[in-house]
Amino acid sequence: MTQSAEPILQVRDLKIDFSADQGILPVLRGLSYSLPKGRVLGVVGESGSGKTVHALSILRLLPPAARISGGEILYKGKNLASMGEEELRSVRGDKISMIFQDPSASLNPVLTVGEQLTETLLAHRKLSKRQARREAVALLEKVGISEAEKRLDEYPFQFSGGMCQRVMIAMALALSPDVLIADEPTTALDVTIQAQILALIKQLQRQSGMSAVFITHNLAVVSGIADDVLVLYAGLCMELAPAAQLFENPLHPYTQGLLSSLASVHKKEDVLPVITGHPPVPGQILTGCPFAPRCPHAFDKCRQECPPLFEEAGRQTRCWLREGK
Amino acid sequence: MTAPVEIKHLFKTYTRRRWFGKNAEKAVLKDVSLTLAEDHVLGLVGESGCGKSTLCKVLLGIEKATSGLVKADGKDIAFLSKSGFKKLRRVMQVVYQDPYSSLDPRMNVRQLLSEPLDIHGLEKDPAARKAFLAELLASVGLSETQLERYPHEFSGGQRQRICIARALALDPKILVADEPVSALDVSVQAQILNLLKEIKKARRLSMLFVTHDFAVARFLCDDIAVMYQGRIVERAPAEDLFTNPQHPYTEALLAAVPSADASRRADGNGAEEASEHPDRAGWPCPFAPRCRYAQAVCAKTPFELKEVFPRHACACCVMPFKTAKSKSAV
Repeated sequence: MTQSAEPILQVRDLKIDFSADQGILPVLRGLSYSLPKGRVLGVVGESGSGKTVHALSILRLLPPAARISGGEILYKGKNLASMGEEELRSVRGDKISMIFQDPSASLNPVLTVGEQLTETLLAHRKLSKRQARREAVALLEKVGISEAEKRLDEYPFQFSGGMCQRVMIAMALALSPDVLIADEPTTALDVTIQAQILALIKQLQRQSGMSAVFITHNLAVVSGIADDVLVLYAGLCMELAPAAQLFENPLHPYTQGLLSSLASVHKKEDVLPVITGHPPVPGQILTGCPFAPRCPHAFDKCRQECPPLFEEAGRQTRCWLREGK
Repeated sequence: MTAPVEIKHLFKTYTRRRWFGKNAEKAVLKDVSLTLAEDHVLGLVGESGCGKSTLCKVLLGIEKATSGLVKADGKDIAFLSKSGFKKLRRVMQVVYQDPYSSLDPRMNVRQLLSEPLDIHGLEKDPAARKAFLAELLASVGLSETQLERYPHEFSGGQRQRICIARALALDPKILVADEPVSALDVSVQAQILNLLKEIKKARRLSMLFVTHDFAVARFLCDDIAVMYQGRIVERAPAEDLFTNPQHPYTEALLAAVPSADASRRADGNGAEEASEHPDRAGWPCPFAPRCRYAQAVCAKTPFELKEVFPRHACACCVMPFKTAKSKSAV
């Protein structure tokens, strides 16, 4: 991974627990990465892998049952994990902003789109209402919504799912943040709309030079947008590598399995290669590598001791097979 | 030989009753004709709201058709009595999208799988029932030891296996699968897809497979029908559709499918410019407002699904002509 001078966002050994009836469940068990300026990190994982919890934790939006139990989230050297609410508020939306999975549920149904867009601007910038409105029109145009002036006075229900997500993106970009966190932003959309939204995010990210964390369960989606890809499994990073290398030559058996099990539109297979078994549920007691029970290459050591991340040629892989490579 | 499922000129309109003023009507299926051939998998592909699930509901008798003919196993379902439907259920079964909400949480696997058998009075002898359930579970990759467990003890993939076993309990000839893998984790989807293909082959099932995912459709389907706003815009054998798509909508859908294929990463995700032409809203072709090939002729030509190649039908007045011509030129 090319390391530019100062990473804009750095996550160090982040641990998150959930308290539940069964006791304390570790959901994220030590995640580390650094996000340089202008790059897009794709975080891929299945349900329960901790990907959404990780996204929420960056802006400290975790549900009450969840708790950051260790590690640091550094934004330009400042630790977001221990920052006071007051200071955090100046970061949220302004420096780091977020878009969510379900666009129509993330917008307030009783306020017009214009009211919601200008709210962000008025809260963080010294603008008059008229200036804010002008700004909002420009933002809507930027995300490809035609007749922006008129549509500002419409309510979210008058927008389609794809259009709502465009509004969400406009809101997230309103204050030109340094980092955009996108949590499954296209999962609820149809494929043709998904392609449009992905292209839009990519284009805006390139223009503004901001960094982004793009979270998804879909490897194919991440392949088109991310510079680096982090594969999460059971709350641990299994593999972190530049996207091109990861897709061409995945090193971790889990990544290999995921990639080969995808059905393709480009050819017809007789049988799909599968990963046997199913992902562990949070709280399941795991000894050794969490993927070992499903891994075709697992040997004794894998079942006894969880491998660390082995570094080689700018990539990291959590697998004993990569030891000493 | 009659086809397992035959649908002709099916219309389905939902009416929203208003207290005052006129009732609002919404046509969800417009003139849909389909045939599911024996021992075939017919894929129904389209985006949300295109009517694919409504079509399943009509076929299963959950919703009544507004007009048109729906024949399942050679019987017109509009004229089936309650007992007639009960008989049809032995022939035609369904697997739904969400394995979390389609199993009763208070029933264990034995009860879940026994329910259809009890209703139809099959395998009454306890010993035979036991052997039957063991075999049924084995056929979907679960084991007899899991019979006393409850749905919450299983993962999503395993629950979908239970749903499939429940559908297969009556040994049906027709299986309707409404997005059976889209709620599952990526690493589990392939398992369920393989299982569906396997049981289809082993039991010689005819399957109506609803999906929004072209990659999944290519893996499993023999024939594919593409739906857009309640109409079928293209219908063809699967391989023909993928290698030679005719309708602009099919083309757009195929281009939009993201690919993790290393060699295809470079060309991006094939996003098309969002072209919206609201002025074309009233045109006969439902796709015209989003179509990049639309011409003046589209405004006048009535919507018609025409055969452009053998067994390959397409409802576009511009495209088939264009490709046929360029083909002959080659």
